[in-house]
Amino acid sequence: MLDVIVKTITRIIVPFTLLYGIFIILHGHVSPGGGFSGGTLIGTSLILYTLVFGVAKSKKKFSHRMSEIAESGGILLYILIGIVGIIFAGSFLSNIDAGFSIGIPGSLFSAGMIPILMVGIGIKVASTFITLFHTLIEGDFE
Amino acid sequence: MNILELIIEHINYLGAAAVFVIGLYTVVNHTNFIKRIIGINIMGTGVFLFFIAIGNVVGGQPPIIDVNNPDVLFINPLPSTLILTGIVVVVSITVYSLSLVIRIYETYGTIDQEEIAKIQKRETDHD
Amino acid sequence: MIEQLPIINLLLLLTMALVIPLFKKRSINTTTTIGFIVLVVVLISSILILNHVHVNGSFVYRFGNYSNVFGIELLINSFSAFFTLFIIALVIPVYLYSTGDATEGVAEKEYGRYYILLFILLFALLGIVYTNDLFNTYVFMEILAITTCSIISIKRKKENYTSAFRYVMLNELGSLSYLFGVALLYMITGYTNIDLVSQSLQGVWQLYQANIITAIGFMVVGIGIKAAIFPFHIWLPDAHSTAPSSSSAILSAIVIKAYVLLLVKVMFRVFGFDILDSFSIPGIITVIGATGMIMGSVFAIAQKDIKRMLGYSSVAQVGYMVLGLGLMSGLGMKAAFFHIVSHGMMKAALFLSVGIIIFHKKVRKVEDFIGLAYQMPFTMVVFSIAALGLIGIPITSGFVSKLNLGLAIMDSGQWFFIAILILSGLLNAIYYLPIIINAFLKSRTETPQLMHLEKVPILMVVSCFFLGFAILAVGLFPNALLGLIEAAVQSFQ
Repeated sequence: MLDVIVKTITRIIVPFTLLYGIFIILHGHVSPGGGFSGGTLIGTSLILYTLVFGVAKSKKKFSHRMSEIAESGGILLYILIGIVGIIFAGSFLSNIDAGFSIGIPGSLFSAGMIPILMVGIGIKVASTFITLFHTLIEGDFE
Repeated sequence: MNILELIIEHINYLGAAAVFVIGLYTVVNHTNFIKRIIGINIMGTGVFLFFIAIGNVVGGQPPIIDVNNPDVLFINPLPSTLILTGIVVVVSITVYSLSLVIRIYETYGTIDQEEIAKIQKRETDHD
Repeated sequence: MIEQLPIINLLLLLTMALVIPLFKKRSINTTTTIGFIVLVVVLISSILILNHVHVNGSFVYRFGNYSNVFGIELLINSFSAFFTLFIIALVIPVYLYSTGDATEGVAEKEYGRYYILLFILLFALLGIVYTNDLFNTYVFMEILAITTCSIISIKRKKENYTSAFRYVMLNELGSLSYLFGVALLYMITGYTNIDLVSQSLQGVWQLYQANIITAIGFMVVGIGIKAAIFPFHIWLPDAHSTAPSSSSAILSAIVIKAYVLLLVKVMFRVFGFDILDSFSIPGIITVIGATGMIMGSVFAIAQKDIKRMLGYSSVAQVGYMVLGLGLMSGLGMKAAFFHIVSHGMMKAALFLSVGIIIFHKKVRKVEDFIGLAYQMPFTMVVFSIAALGLIGIPITSGFVSKLNLGLAIMDSGQWFFIAILILSGLLNAIYYLPIIINAFLKSRTETPQLMHLEKVPILMVVSCFFLGFAILAVGLFPNALLGLIEAAVQSFQ
């Protein structure tokens, strides 16, 4: 019976924690948080899903191939934005000089390229957590 | 009274240094591997506390701009940004050491350094 | 365009490391070929940067055009351009060697892992030499710690795990100690940029003496643990004894030197001669260097395993460099830099030739080298050239570096260290010469006295040969290299 309670509650809660993690990532330039903490929240909620429903079901949803692509893709997005800065303004990771719009400080669509970098970092941290958890819990590193 | 005032004025720094030394003692003295990893984390926490205590301004607010009220005394936001990176670094080192400990446990059956040294000595004596 | 080349170097290496996991169905040869192309591109751009710095002077690269009060800055002067060229030029032979060795004993799905770790390691090495910010150095140091520790325990053998664990613990102690020193400096000056810190320190160091001496202590101990300077060298022999040979070559010939370069930056660019002299730091550093020179060789004599012996020999050679730095003169720094370059080449040649011997014959103990020259002549020739270089025989580059170090000691007037230099040369001879004599002059009774070529992958032999040839070339014509090193030393005056 405890099994049923845990599974039902988890099924209700996981979308809300994922949404909260995405909120923290996207508001990194307005309130405390940013890529690292938001990515940790998403990663931890996926770990909760793995713990409750078992490794097999979790591997079907977040396969090894997808997390490999997510890990490389996060940092490649970061490098790409930096190279845009080199091409347009002569310096790696330029913000205003490279033409990103600043907007009104304090609102969501502001501060140039910082939200895009936060998304990249968030995806990378979340996929790192889930990969590490799958590797550690299986016990078979080969 | 002078010594007491001096201590209370610098209580942040003394506390951070004390945490650092406690972490160092844990790493050096205990032989269990997991306790050593916890000791490294405590040392890291001590250093980060020291950094953040430097950035404190007496009577300052957290450094978040509120558009209605822009002219307020803020604490220095630079150390907090540096420490965010530092925390991620220490977490990744902890994860790596823990995966090594799992492997050591699978190979030797124990995670105490003295017992592992005895097992290794027995093996090299056999060669 | 030339100004963007340093950051393009770093990004190329990092992108190569990120792209390897996406090569799912390709073979290992595609990975190594593309990696070799990337390394050659980075080498050419390092040569262009060195040329530009010698013609136009040093320049500074700021990320995002932010001011250096809170931004990250890369400083490219003759020192950093020369040493990044040295690191890349030394990695290319080791990389070619590793294509033969790194995939032996590893499962098929995981062939690319070694190269991912290698490229992230190169990214962190170039970062430490280029950067001009103290906290940025800490981040690169930690990246280097994890990747080095993974690259030496890449083969799943039993003895690897405890030595890797000890390596991680000691490295972490070193990094956190260094970070505590940076925090103390931040407390006095309010900056983490090296130029701004040294500028603020010059004005006010009389008032904050307790802070500065504690910061110097923490930083030197932290960097000393990672550079295998004498009392903190405990992890180095264990790390070598179970690692694959190309990883040992990278660890002992390149990674330790990056930390010695960081020590140079911290001591001379952050603090400067006057502050260090007033706390009588030079005396302490020369004594640490001299003790390392003697004790490293003493421990090496007692070893039976060839790789542990080479590890202790590295500890002794790092003592030479620290002695050269502690003399606090231009000649001393020149001797230390030349020894960094020549010892890198010699130690890499030693480890790679020992690796070929272990790969072919599966022997590791010193007494198994008897009569080996008849079965593996080319490898033993390279080994002998490198070992004679470490002892200090003329026509090798080791002789030139010992000569420069002797001249620097005589110039500073501390004659006691000449005796230590000669004594340590003799100790080096005691454990290297018997191996060479055993290999060439004694013979086993059961193998015929005919020389024949060994059957190992051709790239491994070619890279060994290239390093042996470079040692002789630098020994016979050292002036070009000395000119570049003199320019590097000038950037600190």
